[in-house]
This record gives sequence, structure tokens and C-alpha cells, in this order.
Amino acid sequence: MNGISEILGINFVVIGPTLALLFTTLVLLFCTITISTPVYVKKYISFVGILITLFTIFLKFGLFARDGITSYFSEKILLDEFSLVGNVLIGLVLLLTFNSFWKTSEVIDNKTTEALILILMSASGFLLMVDAENFIMLFIGLEIGSISLYALAGLNRGDQLSNEASLKYFLLGSLASCILIYGVALLYVSLSISGVYETSIAISFIGPDNVPLTSLIGLIMILVGLLFKVAAAPFQAWAPDVYQGSPTGYVGYMAAVAKASSFIVLARLSAISLRFILDKFDLFFTAIVILSVLAGALFATNQTDIKRLIAYSGVIQSGFILSGISFGVYGISASIFYLITYIIQLIGVFTVFSIISGQLSSDFKISNLSGLFKENKFLTVTFSIFMLGIAGLPLTSGFVSKFILITNLWSYEKYLIVTVLMLTTVAGFYFYLRPIWVAAIEKTDNSIGKIKISISDKVLLGFMAALTIYFGLLPNTLVNITRWMVENYL
Amino acid sequence: MTGIIISLLIVPLFSALLVFMIPNSRKEIFRPIGIVFSLITLTQCFYLLFSDYGKTKFVILSNYKWIQSYGLEISLGISGMSTLLLLLTSLLVCVSLLSIGNEHAESKGFIGSLLALHFAINGVFISGDLISLFIFFEALLIPMYFLMGIWGGENRRYATIKFILYTVFGSVFIFIGTVYAAVISYGANGALAVDFDSLASLALTSSQSKTLFLLFTFGFLIKVPIFPLHTWLPDAHVEAPTAGSILLAGVLLKVGAYGILRVSIPFFTEGFLAYKNFVAVLSVIGIIYGAIVAIAQIDIKKLIAYSSVSHMGYVMLGISAGGYLSIEGAIIQMINHGITAGALFMLVGFLYERRHTRNISSFGGIKITMPRYAAIFLFTSFASIGLPGLNGFVGEFMILMGSFNSYKFLTSIAAFGVVLAAIYMLWAYQRIFTGPISNEKNESLKDLDIRETLSIVPLVLLMLFIGIYPSYIESFVIQEAGFISETIALFKDIK
Repeated sequence: MNGISEILGINFVVIGPTLALLFTTLVLLFCTITISTPVYVKKYISFVGILITLFTIFLKFGLFARDGITSYFSEKILLDEFSLVGNVLIGLVLLLTFNSFWKTSEVIDNKTTEALILILMSASGFLLMVDAENFIMLFIGLEIGSISLYALAGLNRGDQLSNEASLKYFLLGSLASCILIYGVALLYVSLSISGVYETSIAISFIGPDNVPLTSLIGLIMILVGLLFKVAAAPFQAWAPDVYQGSPTGYVGYMAAVAKASSFIVLARLSAISLRFILDKFDLFFTAIVILSVLAGALFATNQTDIKRLIAYSGVIQSGFILSGISFGVYGISASIFYLITYIIQLIGVFTVFSIISGQLSSDFKISNLSGLFKENKFLTVTFSIFMLGIAGLPLTSGFVSKFILITNLWSYEKYLIVTVLMLTTVAGFYFYLRPIWVAAIEKTDNSIGKIKISISDKVLLGFMAALTIYFGLLPNTLVNITRWMVENYL
Repeated sequence: MTGIIISLLIVPLFSALLVFMIPNSRKEIFRPIGIVFSLITLTQCFYLLFSDYGKTKFVILSNYKWIQSYGLEISLGISGMSTLLLLLTSLLVCVSLLSIGNEHAESKGFIGSLLALHFAINGVFISGDLISLFIFFEALLIPMYFLMGIWGGENRRYATIKFILYTVFGSVFIFIGTVYAAVISYGANGALAVDFDSLASLALTSSQSKTLFLLFTFGFLIKVPIFPLHTWLPDAHVEAPTAGSILLAGVLLKVGAYGILRVSIPFFTEGFLAYKNFVAVLSVIGIIYGAIVAIAQIDIKKLIAYSSVSHMGYVMLGISAGGYLSIEGAIIQMINHGITAGALFMLVGFLYERRHTRNISSFGGIKITMPRYAAIFLFTSFASIGLPGLNGFVGEFMILMGSFNSYKFLTSIAAFGVVLAAIYMLWAYQRIFTGPISNEKNESLKDLDIRETLSIVPLVLLMLFIGIYPSYIESFVIQEAGFISETIALFKDIK
């Protein structure tokens, strides 16, 4: 018995987080079907579920410390630094956004349980995705995660924008999934491989110069499928509409979790699967990075809807993060640092939005922020910190992440990309400062009244703002963690 | 000593936070708190001035590990020039807090932003490495953004965005320069060390030195500002509130020249030697152009803003001549211009608070109603023109004398700037103060009260003191100017 499970590598601790979330959704489902459970009980159930998930992530660290990088379940599931950091990130996203998505679910008519189930289910899917060693497993995880997100975007049925967002997200997202699975198929047809490590072994076996064109195309298609999820141009078309249309309380979660998991997977692909042939993808990545930052900056400049603005800024940030991932191991560590700090700022911004605009509303103009400072000092200050962080002003984590990223790019001699990225940063100040101007500076007659903020929201916002400043002043710990992530792949 | 240097950062930051913490109901104590804390900083600066490091070239006094795996450190240090500029900053913050009207003084945001600005400026002058220099250089923008944005004039949105975008555009070049220097340093030291000691020990190739010089100098020159990158300055000055203008003209412009003296010239000397003529030509154009445009202005603040372009041109001419005397003159001119331009903006602020206009044509003959104000304005104008015996003369004379050997033709043209300065300042004085009272609104103007007089008098005394006894202030910068000019001379010999 023991022997078989060891040969197959069955170890339930490795997929513990996924199982914990699935189990929580089952309990929630059971509660809804059988006995009428009060809403607050469901809140506690899901919160406890998330805590258990975090605990199982903690257990995985123990397993990693004992066994090191290992594959489980007949090389379907991988336990390495990327999966650990990915798990922690998704757990963190769940924890930080819990307040907003809970409140949204509470007010969404009769769909509280569905919403919670969708969210937890999507998190479990993305957890599976960052754990996947096999590309089919990766696809399954991605689909579980994404389909829940499609539904989540359209949960507010009465709202036309929400319906539009959901449909658009679904159509384009399934197209991207098709491309991804087609890439996996091409890779399998040409080299009979379908795994992260298998790819690198096969490539090193046949030699980087002899890799068939079919498998290169397959790999590019896999990358495209993932790049769609992070909204890198030219695959960014869905992002603004989805951000704008989805219920505001969900957008922070939706954006953060998809970005976090997809970038972790991209980083792993770059560090392991593509390590011998990374230079063949130079042109591809350079084009995507430059397109992303330019398109993002161009379209962000004259947005009036702030959620669309953040969506386009997300396109720019994706370009930044991708630039580090695509050129080498130290770049990957810089990118992961960037990713972590950006996700904190992103969640922070959307937490502020959902507090201001109410959870359900989809439309949120920049002018809706006008006069925010008058009665809501705390909200304005935290909002400004997040925006300045995204813009990359010194004293915030955004500056440090840009600095170490650019330093790495410069040492890889990517001068063209550095130039474009820096010019975008300058342009960024134009549109990142505008919402701050409207919220804090512009004098207006119809300013927003006093908004009641719950203590948990206050703590969360304060915590995220403090992290943004802290990583800007003392980034050493986080940099060390991201360096530790990539040490084995030098 | 380290404690004092760190407290130069902590005290203003703490005072800014303190002001933000105090509830709005106690708004009368915002100003006293700000003044007390800036006086504390002022005392610390005096202590530094008379310490062992008050007259030396830059010495790094403390190091902190910032990002260990990259070998990045934050270093803080001090030199004669930094100490003088720190002193000027504290003095200007203190007097501008005293000078502002009650509307601003009772706003905690205003006082807090001013103190936060003080924090960032202090940070620039004590940074001992490129990273912290860049961090504080950019951090200046946040309080300036709010000062100009919230309390600025009519057209403040345009001016603020222009100011921010210009500066950020410049600092991008500094940023890339920092990254480039760090990567070069990594090749030599095995760590991305960009503190000033490691930079000085780098052996750069000719092309590296030139590229780095261009990157850094371009960023700093926008801040100086040099012709033709000066166009943000008049807008920013006109729209900024009085206290913002005082610090903008008094200190922020010096940050650019300081960066060139601190970073561009000592570390990238070869690049400096290659491009100094170009900088010199631009600065002379700036001197003449700024002065001529100033003559044509009808807004007093804009007039002083363009006069700043002209005066900072002298600083850049002195720096690019690169001799011992001219660099010393440039440093002293930086201090002098900080004092006189700060005083002029403060005086204009007094007038604006009374009449809510800065248009020269709406005044005339107000010497009759405001005799004390007129006297102080005339005195400050003389200082700004460069009348012998007052501070403006000292710096300009040293610069012109020091530059003459290197640039005979350019210096001769630059000397005409003094004449033009007399034209625009005295003509403006004539139109505002002399003659009969042309506008009946001016008949009831009140002369300066005690608070306002108190806030301008320290600056006036300094103008007189530096003018009469310039060798005292010179003694603090002798070593530093000597060090910089020797570095330049050394490279010239090698070539």
C-alpha cells in the first residue's frame, strides 16, 4: 500500500490547499441545499475554509523543507519554490479581498452562496494551476479558475454592463483557452511531452537548435494562452470592459488572482521549460512588452472611467512584469517582487473603490471621486499611496520594484525595452496623478459625504498601505525571498 | 555626528506627522509648531556648520544596508556646500512659515506639506549615494504637488502637471544613469554599490563617462533650469503659493546645480570636459534671455521667475568654467540667489495678500502708503542686481572673474546680464513704488506689520552680512570648491 502510493507519488498535503477550498465549497453547497443557514454562518464557513487553506499551505512548506523540489501524482503536481510562492500569493489575495467580496456577495440578491462558491472554486482552480507540472493539469486548473471568474463577472444580472463583461470575458477567454490547449497538443504531437520539466529535458536532449518548429509554435501558443489571462497587449481587449462591468467588490479579487497565478506559471515556464531556448523567444517577448506598455499608456491617457484606467494601467504593469520574466533568472526574481507589490496596490485600489461606490455598481467615473478628501481623509490618503505606488514614486514599493527590474534589464543589455519602459513611467504620472487630483485637490461643490468604513476595512487598507511604504523603505526581506525562489534555476 | 545627520530627516518628518495628527480645532498652533521644529533643524545645521565636517569635501558618515543581495546601501554624509544649503533650507522654511498669511497658516495640510518638503530637501543634501539622492529628489515632488495643486493660483492644474512631468522626465534620465552606474560598479566591485566613495574609485572608459555625464546632467539641468528647458519655471512660480515659490526659487533650483557639482562633475569628469562648452553657451543664453524676457513681464512674480533663470545661468556658467574661483563663486551665488529670490517672492507675497493682484500696472506710488515695504524691496532689488556691498555682487563677481580665463567672449556677454538686471529690477521698482498713487485701491494699503517685518529681516541682514564679509561664507566652501576644481584640472592634465 505504502509502496504504491510512494511510486505514484500520492501525497494529499501537496494538493491540500485545493482540497481545502473544494471541501469548503461543498460544505457551503450542502448548507444551501439542505438546511436554511443564516448568511453570517456562511461567512464564517468560508472564512474558516480560507484559514484552513492557509494552514495547508504552511504544511506544504514543511514538506518542501523535507523533500525539496519533487513531483507528485505521477508527475502531475509539482512542489517547488514557484508553487509555494504562488500558493501564498493566492492565499494572501483571498485573505485581503475577503472583506470586499463578502460584502458584495451579501448584497447581491439571493446569490450569496453562489458568489462565495464561485470565488473559492476559482481560487482552488488557480491553486491547482500554479501547482501543475503537467500542461493538461495546468489547463484544468486554469479552466476551473477562469470559468468561475466568467460567471462572477456577470453575477449582477440586472446590470447590462455586467452581462456584457461576462460574455466578453467568456468568449475571449475560451478562445484563449483553446489556443493554450492547442499549443499543448502541438507540443505533444511534435515531441511527445506535456510537462514543465519534460520540456526542458527533451530540449536539452535534442539540442536547442534542433527543436522542431511545431513545438516552438506550441510553446508560443501556451504562452499566449497565459498572456491573455494577464492582459498583456495585444490580448488585452477584454480587460477594460471586464473591470468596468463586473461588480466592483469582485474586481480586485478577479484581477489579482488571475494575474498572480498566470505570472507564477509564466515565470516557471521561463525558468525551467524554456531555459535552453529562451533566446529564441526574444523577439516575441520584446514585442509583447513594448506593445503592452505603449498600448496601456496610450489608452489610459484619456479614460474617464477609473476602473478602465486601472485596467489599462494593469496592461502596462503586465508589460513591466513580463519584461523581467522573459530574459533570465534574476529578472524573474525582480518580476516576482514587482508582482507581489503590484498585487497589494491593486487590491488596495479596488478595496477603496468598492468602499466608495458601493459593492455592486459597475460604472465608476473619475469624477465620482471628486471632493473625497473633504470628509474621508483616510480613504484619500490610502488611495493616493496605492496610486503613487503603481506610478512608481520613490518611498513606495513601486519604485523599488521598478528599480531592481530596470537594473536587471540593463544588465541583460535590453536598452530598447528600458527606454520604452521609462518613457511610459513618465507618461504614467500624467494619468496616475489625475484621480489623486480629483480626489484630494480639486475644489468642488458636490463632494462625497462621509462614508462609513468598517473597522476590518480600515485595518486591511492600513495594512496594505503600510506594506506599500514598508517595501519601499526596507525591501530587503522580500527581495531575499524572491532571490531564494530562483536560486535553484541559475 | 551620525545622530545629528539622521535627525535632519527625522525632525521635519516627525513635525509634519505631528501637524497632521493635531485636530483642526487647534489650528492656531500649526504655525508655532512648524516654526519651532524648523528652528530645531536650524540649530542642528549651525552645529554641523561649526563641526569638523562643516568645511570639508563630502564625507560619508553612515551606511545602511538597503537591499543586501544586490549590495545596495544607503549612505548619508555631509560637506561644506551641503551644510550651507541645509542651513539655507531651514532658514527659508522658518521665515516662510512666519511670513505666510493666516489663511495658509491655519491649514494643517499647508504647514504639513511644507515640513514634508523640508524633509525631502534635507534628504537630497545629505544623501551619500545615488539611490537615496534619487529617492529624495523625486520625493520632493509629492509635497510640491499638493502645495501647488491645492493652494495655487487660477491656472494651477496646468502649471502643476507641467512641473511634475518636466521633473519626472528629467529624473528618468537620472534614474537610468543610476542604473547604468550601478551595473558598471557591479563589474568592478561585485556589488551594485553607488555610494560616492565607490563611484569615485570607478575607472570609467571615455564613452561611459560621457554617457553618464549626459544622463545625469540632463536630469539636473531641467531642475536648474537652463535655457531651453526652463519653460516650466515661470508657470510653476506664478501658480505656486508664496511659501511654495520661496522654497522653489530658494532651494529647489539649487538641487539641480547641487547635483551637477556633487555627481556629474567629480565622478564623470571626462564627460564634463567634453560637454562643458555646450553647457556654458546655454547658460549665457539663459542669462541674457532670462533678463530680456524679465524686462517685458507685467506680472511681478513672472518677472522674478525669469530673473531666476538669468541668475541660475550665472551659476551654471561658473560651474562649467570649472576653475577654482568660478566654482566657489557658483556655490556662493547659489546661496545668495536663494536668499534674494526667496526674499523677493516673500515680498511679492505680502503685496498679493493685500491686493490680490500681481500685475505691475495696478500699482504705482505705493511708496507713500508702504514706506517700510518700499525700503526693504529696494534693498532686496539692489542685492538681486548685484550692487557692490550686497551679497549678489560677491557671487556674480567671482563667477565672472573666474570664468573669464576660460571663456573670454561668453563672460563678456554674460556681464551685460548685470546691466539688464538693473533695468528690469529698477524699472519694476519705479513702476510699482514711485510717482503718485495711480489706483485708489492702493491708498489704504497697510505697511508691513511686525510678523512680516520679522520674517524678512533675517534675509535682509544676511544680504548685508555676506556682502560686507564674504570671506566668512567663503571659508566653508574653499575645500570643496578646491576639490572639485582639482579633479577637473587633474583630468585636463591626463588628457
